Amino acid sequence: MAKEAQKKISTKIKELEGMVDWFYSEEFNLDEAEEKYKKTVDFSREIEKDLTELKNRIEVINKDFTKD
Amino acid sequence: MSSDSPVFTVSQFLAVCNETLEYSFSGVKVVGEVSGFKVNQGKWVFFDLKDEESSVSCFLPVFQLRMPIEDGMKIAVKGLPKVTKWGKFSLTVMQMAPIGEGSIKKSFELLKKKLTAEGLFDASRKRGIPDDLSRIGVISSTQAAGYADFCKILNARWGGLEVLTAHTQVQGMEAADQIIRALKYFNEHEDVGIIAIIRGGGSADDLSVFNDEKLVREIAASRIPVITGIGHEVDESLADLAADIRASTPSNVAEMLTPDKRAEISRVRSLVSSVYTKIVDGISSAAALADFKDVGSKILQEIERSCRDIEAKKKMLMAANPDNTLKRGYAIVSGELSPGGAVKITTYDKIAEANVKNIKERR
Repeated sequence: MAKEAQKKISTKIKELEGMVDWFYSEEFNLDEAEEKYKKTVDFSREIEKDLTELKNRIEVINKDFTKD
Repeated sequence: MSSDSPVFTVSQFLAVCNETLEYSFSGVKVVGEVSGFKVNQGKWVFFDLKDEESSVSCFLPVFQLRMPIEDGMKIAVKGLPKVTKWGKFSLTVMQMAPIGEGSIKKSFELLKKKLTAEGLFDASRKRGIPDDLSRIGVISSTQAAGYADFCKILNARWGGLEVLTAHTQVQGMEAADQIIRALKYFNEHEDVGIIAIIRGGGSADDLSVFNDEKLVREIAASRIPVITGIGHEVDESLADLAADIRASTPSNVAEMLTPDKRAEISRVRSLVSSVYTKIVDGISSAAALADFKDVGSKILQEIERSCRDIEAKKKMLMAANPDNTLKRGYAIVSGELSPGGAVKITTYDKIAEANVKNIKERR
């Protein structure tokens, strides 16, 4: 679960970087830029929400380490 | 001698004494100074523990010696009092720890030298923090302030992690064995990316558990990378030296294991902001290009108009050229226009010289 959540965030950030790269590429043009910019902003908000809301799960192992 | 008093053989008597001692003093802790330390046959350790007035013999197998000791060191031992079959009273040592800054430092230096020589602290043995860290094993006392600091910083910095905590003592004679069991547990049963050993600040006595030889060896042998956050920045333990990564404090462990989500949010915002700037730049460039095209067009129009003007003037000049009139058969007469005067007659392709015969008024 935690691994999935971590992957999800790191994957999303990489995806966002890819979206941003388009604006600096040869393919950049103003006709498509507006639509792509809207998508980038929406996606960045989604990542921000994930980063803000995701909680850690801290669990104390149910084992007595005073004995072998 | 009273008839109802029990009568023992010597062996029975010693057995009863030992039973009584075990019942009354099982796990007794005694503090004193080491004297007459020796190892017999490489297997058995003997020394006396003494204070200003008294002395007690101590014994333990050499494999239970978890720290180097020397005569004059102050130590605490936990042991079982016993009367041997030769009637000698001794303490069978189960656990021991140095006491006081001087003894701890001495023990620390001796063991550090030994383990360094074995290569246990070599930089080449160190591993880094795994990239895709999602499960963390923690060994600490859940009641310790250091553990609370670690959790607080971890939660403030990042989310989505799974933290499995092995609750152990982190000071006292039993702590080292408990931490060793927790290390073994994680290595054998849990798929965690790293093990963090955490303990807040304390006195040299409190932290001496982290100089336990068996614990230090267990850390060095761990299959899973180990990070330590023990005491404060200035505290250095052998556990720190054996660990893959040493953090200065429990809070610093959390900082080293996680990115800061606030910084990550800021980076995401910065990425989007850079895109906005790029679009604005694109729009400005396009407008400048349009302006440039407009100016170019005006210049071209002006050039064309000038060309047309020049062409018209050229035609006018052509029309005024006398050669065109001469071509049509006319001639130019120049000279003295009076009877007998010499004149020059110029046609398109010839020049004649003549004399005027007569002159009459034409109109």
